Amino acid sequence: MITEEIKKRMIAIIGPENYDDSKVGRLCYSYDATPDLQALPDAVVSPRNTEEVSELVKICNEHKIPIVPRGTGTNLCGGTCPTEGGIVFLFKHMNQILELDLDNLTMTVQPGVITLDVIKKAEANGLFYPPDPGSMKSSTIGGNISENSGGLRGLKYGVTRDYVMGLEIVMANGDIIRTGGKLAKDVAGYDLTRLYVGAEGTLGIITEAILKLVPIPETKKTILALYEDLEAAARTVSKIIANKIIPATLEFLDQPTIAAVEDYVKIGLPTEAKAVLLIEQDGSPEQVEKDMAKIADICKSEQAVSVQMAKTVEEAEALTTARRTALSAIARIKPTTILEDATVPRSEIARMVKAINEIAEKYNLPICTFGHSGDGNLHPTVPTDARNKEEMERVEQAFEEIFIKAIELGGTITGEHGVGVVKAPYLELKLGAAGIEAMKAIKNGLDPNNIMNPGKVFAKDSRKRVVVGQ
Amino acid sequence: MDRERLIDLMGEIIPDEKRILTDQADLYSYSYDASFGFFVPDIVVQPKATEEVAKVMKLANQFEIPVYPRGQGTSLSGGPLPVKGGIVLDLSRWDQNLEIDSEDMVAIVSPGVITGNINAKAMEKGLIYPPDPSSSNIATIGGNLAENAGGPRGLKYGVTKDYVIGLEVVTPEGEIIRTGGRTVKNVTGYDLTKLIVGSEGTLGVITEAILRLYPKPASTQTLMALFDDLVDSGRAISKVLNSGILPAKMEIMDQASIQAVEAYRPLGLPTDVEALILIELDGHPMAIADEMLKVQEVCKEVGVREVKVAATSEEAEKLWRARKLVSPAIVRVKPTKISEDATVPRSKIPAMFQRLKEIKDKYNLDLVVFGHAGDGNLHPNIIADKRNQEEMKRVEMAVEEIFTAAIELGGTLSGEHGIGTMKAPFMEMELGEVGLDMMKRIKQSWDPKNILNPGKIFPEIGQRLVLTDE
Repeated sequence: MITEEIKKRMIAIIGPENYDDSKVGRLCYSYDATPDLQALPDAVVSPRNTEEVSELVKICNEHKIPIVPRGTGTNLCGGTCPTEGGIVFLFKHMNQILELDLDNLTMTVQPGVITLDVIKKAEANGLFYPPDPGSMKSSTIGGNISENSGGLRGLKYGVTRDYVMGLEIVMANGDIIRTGGKLAKDVAGYDLTRLYVGAEGTLGIITEAILKLVPIPETKKTILALYEDLEAAARTVSKIIANKIIPATLEFLDQPTIAAVEDYVKIGLPTEAKAVLLIEQDGSPEQVEKDMAKIADICKSEQAVSVQMAKTVEEAEALTTARRTALSAIARIKPTTILEDATVPRSEIARMVKAINEIAEKYNLPICTFGHSGDGNLHPTVPTDARNKEEMERVEQAFEEIFIKAIELGGTITGEHGVGVVKAPYLELKLGAAGIEAMKAIKNGLDPNNIMNPGKVFAKDSRKRVVVGQ
Repeated sequence: MDRERLIDLMGEIIPDEKRILTDQADLYSYSYDASFGFFVPDIVVQPKATEEVAKVMKLANQFEIPVYPRGQGTSLSGGPLPVKGGIVLDLSRWDQNLEIDSEDMVAIVSPGVITGNINAKAMEKGLIYPPDPSSSNIATIGGNLAENAGGPRGLKYGVTKDYVIGLEVVTPEGEIIRTGGRTVKNVTGYDLTKLIVGSEGTLGVITEAILRLYPKPASTQTLMALFDDLVDSGRAISKVLNSGILPAKMEIMDQASIQAVEAYRPLGLPTDVEALILIELDGHPMAIADEMLKVQEVCKEVGVREVKVAATSEEAEKLWRARKLVSPAIVRVKPTKISEDATVPRSKIPAMFQRLKEIKDKYNLDLVVFGHAGDGNLHPNIIADKRNQEEMKRVEMAVEEIFTAAIELGGTLSGEHGIGTMKAPFMEMELGEVGLDMMKRIKQSWDPKNILNPGKIFPEIGQRLVLTDE
């Protein structure tokens, strides 16, 4: 509960224009991209710098008011939904690229910078920031760091975590700390940088980050391979890796996904194929040439019915863009879209795809599957309707089975979206009671009043709930 | 607790009495490592199963006895020293499991496996395990994980941490947890894997690790560049890296190191140059041939005296011999070597060299500098004689100034050796009171009785660096 006195103190710090507790303002920040999950915050604040964040956090800590840090709300696990009320922190004023350091190949950014702007700024200087989550056009770097976002290039280049060298963090008690730095190597004490990446805003607020950049690959090429058989596509994935080739991108799309995408983008995708692999390799021209020839051979030897190499940069771009629209395309089918990101070891992809299809049949659901097959990170997606309670129950049961299967195959319940609210009940499946206790001990140590994004990561109770909210 | 009772209780946990060491001679063998200091433990046990470790930790907790995990004792920061007496857990005998899974491109290893053996076994399947600390032929992977060991290949391939995707860990309270897994992407809860790697055995005992492997590069090429001026070599380093080339290794030696090598085993290196840089490129043969030309051009632009390109792998080996001989060469001058690894942002390398030169002159010490230039991880080594107390006093002061210089230049106390006992007094200088407090809170939340590797990382009140026997 925010008293008049607390409100006054906050306004004194950030000015009245940056404090919003109007009904409309609160409603705008009551949900994120997670379906069927909504809760009103008590107020929304937009601090202008780290000191203001720190001052606001101190007040919240004093009065045990929940804090929900939020970028642009593209979160898919309910991580930015203020389920316990409190104050939403926005970073619209802290959205600057502070420095591009060409000697150390780093970029220093504020949390509100849009991911794509980081990528573009790097590219304009002949450099490369590889993490490319599907939402990169609208997501912020602060959100990416908090969720440890992945993307299409994860197999070869890793995920957000691999590109964060240092952070400035406001702790739960308002203290400001700096971790890491422009250092390729740093073993002075515990790796707080990596602990905060992917902590989903539950340990503190990231107010600045030093990102690592790498030289931009000289060239890239794209192949589209079509299959009549899902398993043949999965076998191709394994075989490419077994041949010691690590492509920049190795994406898998099943028939329902391709149909949805084609209906949306209309670029002549082969809607009759049972599965499609979109493969991209980058690097020196010699290496790319050699790898692509080998990849094409492998696709053919695994009964691909067609293997086409994009002839121009534009054509290649159109293909990857089409893949990036998959979620939006599927979302057009029905009002509610449930998307998961269960991840398995690469060698288990074929088995996982098969299991998802069996589960879809068992619960009579149209599951579209696409995703990053190279790193085992699949996105089984169900277009449904939140108002149809009976169908939503089936969706929930189906996803629970998918999670269990992923763990059985040595995988995990989330590869890149985070635990948030929706997967918290399943955390114990993967981590066991002792594993959760170890994480909770850290949470309690760094945020004893439990004000930092409470209700996320750790489930309050064991009630299973994937989608049926409220 | 009296020692006899401890030995009895240990006998109930470890079934094989040969794996419980209590003789004075044995205990003395575990009283030191490759750094400074001498501390005799009460008992040494050699566990070979996770359950055994868990039971030892539970016993230690019950009776509040300190426990020190240890590999082969190659630590340069005092990591495994039993500074408060108690139990040394010698994990070096637990080397039975070394499995390479080429489909998932991972290795699964028990903690006592020698690091070099992992790479050797991976190479049989056309893969590599990139981290290559200089001690890789004797050090255990468990020690490498605890210290987050680096190595020359760190520039392109990163350090140990970048290759660990899953761990089995026994917590200080004796719980067994599994972190991460076999998947490249995993955001299920906090990243405990990266927190434990580099925590110097203070947060848990690593009993198994899942390591990422990488395809073996098609070919490598080596180049040596000699510079009349140290500052020019710094410019060459920056310029090469800014030209879009990422060498596998980029090592530097200063004049004192070159002279020491020439005095030890003459290789025909000119002793009047101020710096020597060794560069190894790897990748597709045609691509690296192009890059080699570019590197030579850059060196010429900044005014190199001479560039030597190895035509054959034998020639490359010969060039690298200079770098490999540095350590043995310098200890011939005097018996005691104080090896530091203060690390600075790459752009600050010339400034760091300047500061080191000033420190050398000020304290009139034998200071040589070599190291991993590409990632800013230099190894200033002071050669002294432990028996000369007056000289050792000067060494203490010089070391302190080296740390101050590194931190003032935006660097860190340690790039790859760890904090341990020697650098603990300087932690607050780097992290500040608040930063250090955050780390302490994590330690306390997992190890409330402070029994796992006490006396490391965190300074005791009033602790100073002492190299003399006062």
